[in-house]
Amino acid sequence: MDDDIREVSDAQLVTMIARYNEVALAETYRRHGGAVFGLARRVLNGAAEAEDVTQEVFLRLWNQPERFDPSRGNLRSWLLTQSHARAVETIRSLTARRQREINDAHKAARGAYDMQHEAWDVVLAEDVKKALDELPPEERRAIELAYFEGYTYIKVAEILNEPEGTVKSRIRSGMRRMRATLVESGIEGADR
Amino acid sequence: MMSHDEASELLAVAALHAVDAETLAAIEEHAATCPRCQSELDSYRAVAAALGNSVEELPEGLWTNISSQLWERTGDAAEMPSLVIGDTPAEVVSIGVATRSSRRLRKALSGVAFAAAALIVVLALSLLSAQNHVTNLQSALKLASRSAVQRAMATPGHQVVNLTSATGQRLAKFVMLPDGTGYLVKCAMPNLASNDTYQLWGIVKGSPVSIGVMGSSPGQVTFTLNSSPGPSELAVTVQKAGGSLTPAKKFVASGPVDVS
Repeated sequence: MDDDIREVSDAQLVTMIARYNEVALAETYRRHGGAVFGLARRVLNGAAEAEDVTQEVFLRLWNQPERFDPSRGNLRSWLLTQSHARAVETIRSLTARRQREINDAHKAARGAYDMQHEAWDVVLAEDVKKALDELPPEERRAIELAYFEGYTYIKVAEILNEPEGTVKSRIRSGMRRMRATLVESGIEGADR
Repeated sequence: MMSHDEASELLAVAALHAVDAETLAAIEEHAATCPRCQSELDSYRAVAAALGNSVEELPEGLWTNISSQLWERTGDAAEMPSLVIGDTPAEVVSIGVATRSSRRLRKALSGVAFAAAALIVVLALSLLSAQNHVTNLQSALKLASRSAVQRAMATPGHQVVNLTSATGQRLAKFVMLPDGTGYLVKCAMPNLASNDTYQLWGIVKGSPVSIGVMGSSPGQVTFTLNSSPGPSELAVTVQKAGGSLTPAKKFVASGPVDVS
């Protein structure tokens, strides 16, 4: 049974989850939990908060599987979008911000989880790093502040002491450049 | 509604969640009606997801926390019919003020949008004698939370009772403690009309004895069984709101209790 479920596609897993199949959710967690947790942890700089976010994301998938639309992207991307949204919500609360400052020194090492997926993640990470590295520094900085620090573009403008419109344009321009690089690398979903 | 031009300008920052919640909702609302913006937003989100695709080793115990909450359903006290079992009407208590023992659990509740609206009805029922009829069933309602269920699942000697339909579909799961306390852990039974209710029965010496009504949409339920011997089986029927002293002919779900 364990081997069978590992052969099932992500989209099929979500269909099974919609039928209250707990094994399917467990498999989804095995495949994507590390990424969901990893992103939340990176944004929040705290393992406890990242666990909360991961929990929320998978419970949400369990309770509202219909929110995932396979025609609009893959499951990993969708789960990461959910994870990032929850993490940003959390970090924007004052308490979390304080906690984040406390936890600043506690960035932890990343762990392996599955050889096959890990290999793909390494390739993806290299492509993403390349795409980021190719950005002009001001675009890269604006994107990093927004995405990894959880700031709104208005706050990013304040931090960088730039007009809001300029920051908005830089983010858009940077995202377009990254998209082009990732499409060139064959990253699924970016070529819509 | 946000105009196409306004939304279009903000799609990239929206994909990074670099806008406030209100603006994000307006952008998503527009995108839902504009295939071009939806496609653009989805592609930016794919880029953002690639940017954030950094796998970490999962903490031990996290899956256990998640799986223990999968089948919990928020109750709605306002829809819960009054408990009338035996001659002791029960109270209905709102436990919107229920507190969680840990910050994590509190956040989990709020994050899944459970806590704010949920009023949890807890039935604490004492079971009659083993003489197969309902007498002075003492019922009380008390606060309970998922943490109580989790504690029960971690208590030595606990017993899990799975209730399945006639076709084998698993519809409810209870955990019972050696002291006779039981909790509804999971529930996949469909909601009933408001004038109907699920009713829980213990099969004692081959005869059904009412444990209590569970409402039309069972939430978190706690009960206490003081019978001796204990039931050999738990079963659920659908009854008219308020419950019945005798069960409907057909069990919606039932499952054996280990009496050893």
